[in-house]
Amino acid sequence: MASVARTIEVWKSYGQGGPRQVDAVQGVSVEIEKGRVTAIGGPSGSGKTTLLSLIGLLTRPTKGKILYDDKDLSSVSEVYRTRVRRNRIGFIFQAQYLIPQLTAIENVALPKLCMDVPRSEAERQAAERLVALGMSHRLGFRVAELSGGEQQRVSIARSLMNSPDVLIADEPGASMDEDLTAELLSALRGMVDEHGLTVIVASHDQKVLDWADKRLNMRDGKIVT
Amino acid sequence: MGGDHTGLRRHANLASYALGNVLKYRTKSAMILAALVISTTLLCSVEFIRTGVEVDVASSVGEGPDLIVQRLVGGRQAQIPAAWIENVSATDGVRLATPRVWGYAEAGAGRLITIMGVNATDYGNVFGAVGTSILAGGRFIEEGDTRKMVVGLGIVDMMAASGSSLLIDVGSTLSLIAYNGSLIEFQVVGIFTSESRIYSYDLILTDLTSAGAVLGTDNISYTDIAVWVELGSNVNSVALQMDTSISEARILTKGAMGTMMLRTYGDRAGIVALLWATVLLVVVLLAFSASSAGSDEYRREVGLLKALGFDTVDVLEIRMFEAITLGLLGASLGISSAIVYDFVLNAPLVAGYMLGWNLVLLNGGIPLAISLPTVFTVFAVALVPIMVATVLPSWRNAITEPDVVLRGV
Repeated sequence: MASVARTIEVWKSYGQGGPRQVDAVQGVSVEIEKGRVTAIGGPSGSGKTTLLSLIGLLTRPTKGKILYDDKDLSSVSEVYRTRVRRNRIGFIFQAQYLIPQLTAIENVALPKLCMDVPRSEAERQAAERLVALGMSHRLGFRVAELSGGEQQRVSIARSLMNSPDVLIADEPGASMDEDLTAELLSALRGMVDEHGLTVIVASHDQKVLDWADKRLNMRDGKIVT
Repeated sequence: MGGDHTGLRRHANLASYALGNVLKYRTKSAMILAALVISTTLLCSVEFIRTGVEVDVASSVGEGPDLIVQRLVGGRQAQIPAAWIENVSATDGVRLATPRVWGYAEAGAGRLITIMGVNATDYGNVFGAVGTSILAGGRFIEEGDTRKMVVGLGIVDMMAASGSSLLIDVGSTLSLIAYNGSLIEFQVVGIFTSESRIYSYDLILTDLTSAGAVLGTDNISYTDIAVWVELGSNVNSVALQMDTSISEARILTKGAMGTMMLRTYGDRAGIVALLWATVLLVVVLLAFSASSAGSDEYRREVGLLKALGFDTVDVLEIRMFEAITLGLLGASLGISSAIVYDFVLNAPLVAGYMLGWNLVLLNGGIPLAISLPTVFTVFAVALVPIMVATVLPSWRNAITEPDVVLRGV
């Protein structure tokens, strides 16, 4: 199976050289297979979120390489990395990072605003995504007026707005009950199977981990299995 | 992977997002706007008065002679004997030296007006040479005129405001209360234009003898001598010659008169400008604290936008649109408020502070003028600090890795 992204001996250290240096990711090499679901498990503080940030090009590695289609993106310009994020990667953040004063539609349409797409078209597409996730009754609601599960669905809809080929999801089932989580996983599985979406997911949830095609376990910044 | 950065729709999206932000962060926007409106209103109000004074002083000085010769005795201004006129006229470069008598007279109801007696022929020649634009109606006084007067618009306004049945116009008769309490009747032959509120607004110009009768002066001494120099002559060197050749003389040049009047009316503008600068500093600090790295909400928003694919320039463009919206709106509202405050309400407090007791003499109202440089300065000074205060912190966040900004790691 072809890989869409690879990390080679990637390290990420915070407070480097100082007395409180933390090596959040230590020499990790992983291969993310195209059109498959890769899950990363492990206890809190094991480095899962940092590894997702590295693969999602949200931060640069201290050492090592991150390759997309065999091109090393760890040392290219920030402008290039931003364009890759814009055009190829979708994010479901653990903390969601929704803008509270915006409505559900406005939050979901956000990734399209930096593209040459009319705002009305962006919001039409956003509405479609939200309706597909069962949010038709909450389109014009502000984030603060939504439940935790609804907020998570807004976050998921936003992650799909740029039609990514790689979806990075950090605890996607958080704030959602079992039924909703199952629905979400089913929807994602459909996109993986039908559209060749690549999903990288970090989770504590055993059901999510079992649902993945490939499973990695992290402990103390290293892949252990 | 590039190529969409010239898209007008993208810029429109960023602009509309920025406008949404201004509305979204209502409290912050309202605070910045209020501070901007207050500061620009204050600055504009002061600037309109200062510019008005400048225009008025320039107009007043322009109407007057090149030099004024006064006599100082023991540090006080004294009457000038007629013999001085020959000495002054004999000075090289002098085209015309003509005596004037002036002082204050009462026109009833406690209203003081300035009355000036001049040599009709001399003054008529000088003003005739520069045209008749100083008169809104009627004629200038002529040789042989007695008890004839040219009045400023203030006299017309004053009589109209006093409810008097007598409306002043060319041909009207107006009585002045002389130094000894007697009434002296004058006929109005001309009315000054209103270009100069400071100088001619409440002025009555008449012949030397009639002015002397009102003010109680004799016909052989004068208040000062107005001097016009030959074209091409250096005013300062003519003034220096007079100063050295005539003892007890004080020579005021046109420039010195202008400076003196500006200092009288315009000095306090600097103090108010300082106050304005302080208010603006508060605006900047407010904007800075609201958008700085210290504001988690603003910082996270920048991190999120970057994570979702917004370039650093996109983020800066959003912040610039926000700053421009707030700056333009604040400055426009401030300028509008200042126009209402100055031109409609006559700038209570500010006018009193800037003009001091001179306000009492400005019966025609405070001099006001709007100049393009003032408006441009206000817009520039309102925009630049807000832009710096909002764009700079966002730029710092925008060039930081999204993960660091979002998670604060």
